[in-house]
Amino acid sequence: MNKILSNILSRRSFHLFWILTAFLFLFRIVFIPSENFAIITISEIVLALILLSLAFSLSGLFKEVKPNPLSLVVNVGILSAVIFLVMNFSEPIVQLLIGNVKEKVKNPGLAENVISILYSLIFLGFAAYVFLVFKTLFYFKQTRNVETYFNTMLIFFVLTSIAVYFEQNEELSYISTTFYIVSVLLIIFNSLRISWIAFIVKKEKIYLLILSVVILILFIVNLVKMGGGHFHYQIISSVSLVLDRFLNVLLIYGAIYFSILFFTTLFHIPTAEAFDKKAQEVSSLQYFSKLINEVLDFKDLSKTISDITTKLTGSDAAWIMWKNEDDFTSIAQQNIGYYDAQLIHGFMLSQKKWDKLDQAKIIPIEKFEKQNELSEKYSTLLVAPLKAHGNIKGFLLAAKKGNSIFNEEDRSALDTFSEYASIAFENARLLEESIEKQRLERELDVAREVQRRILPSKNPNYPNLDISSIFIPAFEVGGDYYDFFPIDQNTLGFIIADVSGKGISAAFIMAEVKGIFESLSKVIRRPKEILIKANEILKGTLERKIFVSAAYGLIDVRNGTLHIARAGHCPILLIREGKLQDIRPEGLGLGLSFDNVFSDSLQEQKVDLQENDTLILYTDGITEAKNGLFEDFGEDNFRNLLLKFSSHNVQTITEKVIKEVSIFSQEHSQYDDITLVIIRWKQNIINNGEAEWQISAQQLKT
Amino acid sequence: MADFSTTVKDIGDVSVIYLNGFLDAHTAPMLENNFSELINKNRYSIVVNFEELAYISSAGLGVFMAFIEKVRENNGDIKLTTMNDKVYNIFDLLGFPLLYEIYKSEDEAINKFKSLK
Repeated sequence: MNKILSNILSRRSFHLFWILTAFLFLFRIVFIPSENFAIITISEIVLALILLSLAFSLSGLFKEVKPNPLSLVVNVGILSAVIFLVMNFSEPIVQLLIGNVKEKVKNPGLAENVISILYSLIFLGFAAYVFLVFKTLFYFKQTRNVETYFNTMLIFFVLTSIAVYFEQNEELSYISTTFYIVSVLLIIFNSLRISWIAFIVKKEKIYLLILSVVILILFIVNLVKMGGGHFHYQIISSVSLVLDRFLNVLLIYGAIYFSILFFTTLFHIPTAEAFDKKAQEVSSLQYFSKLINEVLDFKDLSKTISDITTKLTGSDAAWIMWKNEDDFTSIAQQNIGYYDAQLIHGFMLSQKKWDKLDQAKIIPIEKFEKQNELSEKYSTLLVAPLKAHGNIKGFLLAAKKGNSIFNEEDRSALDTFSEYASIAFENARLLEESIEKQRLERELDVAREVQRRILPSKNPNYPNLDISSIFIPAFEVGGDYYDFFPIDQNTLGFIIADVSGKGISAAFIMAEVKGIFESLSKVIRRPKEILIKANEILKGTLERKIFVSAAYGLIDVRNGTLHIARAGHCPILLIREGKLQDIRPEGLGLGLSFDNVFSDSLQEQKVDLQENDTLILYTDGITEAKNGLFEDFGEDNFRNLLLKFSSHNVQTITEKVIKEVSIFSQEHSQYDDITLVIIRWKQNIINNGEAEWQISAQQLKT
Repeated sequence: MADFSTTVKDIGDVSVIYLNGFLDAHTAPMLENNFSELINKNRYSIVVNFEELAYISSAGLGVFMAFIEKVRENNGDIKLTTMNDKVYNIFDLLGFPLLYEIYKSEDEAINKFKSLK
C-alpha cells in the first residue's frame, strides 16, 4: 500500500515539477527584471517548490532501487565532477550567447532569462540529488532513531538559505551568520555517525578512501568557485539567492562529510581484514549449520560435516571418528585413507585425557612414533569432540600436511562448528530412532492382528459345558494360543499352547500351530497321538531354540470323560468339591526333541468329570505377572484365588481372577500374554431335554 | 529391565557358566555369546550354575536347546546345576530333566565329566 502511495506521489510530484518549471519560465520572463519584493518572493517560493517536487520524485526512485552506499558515493563524485565542468566551462559559452554577463544579468532580456534559469535548474537538480544521497547515507545502517538530528539540520539549512536576504541589511546580517554557524555545527555532528563503513569489505574500503579524497577536492574547488564575484555567482544570484545559499551549505556538508569519511575509512583499514574474516566465518558458520540441519541421513550428514570441516579450517584432510560401543571407527574420510585415519586415531587416543576433551584442540603430530607408517606427512591435527547429552559420541578431526599448521582462529571456528555438528548428529539419530520405533510398532500391530485372527472369536456352545475364556495380549505380543475344536456334537477338543519367545516370530509360529492342530483334530482323536503328530510336523519348521508348550484335551460331552495329554505346558487345574488338584500327565514340550524321547515321554490321562467339576487352563502370563518390585503373581496366589471364587459361575471367576492380576501388576507393563480358559461340567443337564434326546438319537443311528 | 549377568570360569577341562539375575528374551543373547565362545574354543564340557538366577523365561530355556546338539556331537554336554525350586519347576514342566542332566551341586556335575575321562 505504502509503495503504491509513494509511487503515485512521486509520479505526481514529477508532473508538478514540470508544471512549476514552466510556470517559473513564464513568470520570470514576464516580471523580471523587477525589484519588487513580492515578485522576488514568489519566484523564490516557486523555485523552492520545484526543488521539493524534484526531491520527492527522486526519493521515490531511491526507495525502489535501494542503492548501496558505495555506488551512491560514486554518483556524488560523478555529479560533482559534472558541476565542476559546468562552472568552469560554461562562462565562455554563455558569454558567446548573451555577451557580457555582468551587465546583462542586471537587466535581462528573454534569452538571458532563459539561459540563467536553465543554468540554475542544473544546480537545482544537483542540489536535490546530492541532498538525497546525503540523507540516504545518513540513515544507512543506523540502529538508533536519528530522525530528529537530521530534521533539525534540515530546518537550519532552510533557515540559513532564507536568511540570505537578511544580509542585505547590515544590522540583521548576524541572523544569517548565526544560522550558518549552527548549520555547520549540525553538519559536523551528523557526519560523525558514519556506521555503514564497517560493513564493507577491505577492497571496497581502499576504493572508498581514494574516492573520498577526490570528491573532497572537487567539493572544495566547487565551493571556492561558487564564491561571490565569480561568473557562477552572478548567474545563480540573479535567479535565486536562496538556491545559492542552499547549494553553498550542501557543498559544505559534502566537504565535511567526505573528509570525515576519509578519516573513518583510513582508521578502519588496518582492522578491515580481521573484520572481513570474522564476518565471513560467522556467515559461513550460519550457512553450514543451516546446511547440516537439512541433511538427515547419517551417512550423508557425516560426509557433509567432514567436507565443511576442510573448508572451514583450510585443512588438507578431515574425517570423523565415530564411537561404537567402546572403540572408534573412522568414517567420512575426506582426502585421507582409512588406514592413515585409523593410525592417527591410535595416536590421538594415546593422548592424556582425550576422553575429557570438551573443546577443540590443536595436537602437533610430529612426535607420533608411527609417523613413518602414514602415507602422507601430516604436521598438525585439530580435534573437536562431538557430544550428545554431555557424552562423547565421536570426534571431528582435521589434519594439515607439510609446513602449514592450524592457528587459534581455525581452532575456535571448528570448536563452534563441532557444536552445530553434534546437534545435527543427535537430530539424525533421533529421527532414525523414531523411524525404527514406528517400524517396530507397525510390526507389533501385524503380530497382534495375526494373533487376534487366530484365537476363537466365541466360545463353543454345548448344553452341559459352561465355558469362559479370556486372552489379554502383552505389549510385545507373546505366543499364547488356545482353541476349541467342536469335533461333533458329542465331542469337544480343546488346546492351550504357548510358543517360546515373543514378537512377530512367535505370532507366526502360533499361526502354524493353529493350522496343525486344526487339521489334526479332524483326523485324530487321541490327544497323545495328536501331540506326537504335531511334534513330527513341527520338526521341519521350528528353529532349534524355539519350542511350544501345549496341552490338548478331549471331552465326551455325553458322559463327561476327559482325555488329556500335556506337552510341557502348565498343569491343567481341576477344582472338585472345593479342592484343587493338578492334572499333570508327563510330557516334553513340542520341538524340544524329535526322536523317541518325545513320544516315550508323553502320557495321556483320563478323568471322569463329576458334577460342577471346573477345569482351568492357563498360561504362565498369569502366574508370572510382575508387580513394581518385579515379584511374581505366583502359583499359590493364583490357586488360592481360584478356590476362593470357585462358587461363582465361570465368567465371574475369570473376571475376578483377571482383576486381581491386573491390580497386582498395575505398576509394571504386562510382561507376557495372559490366557485363562475355564470349563465347567454340568452333569445334570444331560438328564433332561435336548441333550438326552440327542444321545438317544445318536444311539439309534449306531 | 531387570539385570542379568554371566561369568565363565574354567575348571580344568570343564567350563562353568554362572548365571545371575533374570534370563529372558532380552538378556538371552548374552548367554548365547558365552556358549558360542566356548564352542569356538572347543570347550564342550559345560556346566551351567543356576544358583544366582532369579528367573528364566521360555526364550531363556531356548538358549540351552540351541547349543545342546552341537555340544553333544563333540562328545561334550551341558549339565545344569543348583537350581532353585522355582527355576527347576519351569524346567521340569517342560520335561527338561529328560533331556539334560540336572544336579544339586556344581561339584557333582564337574565330577561327572571327570569320571567319564
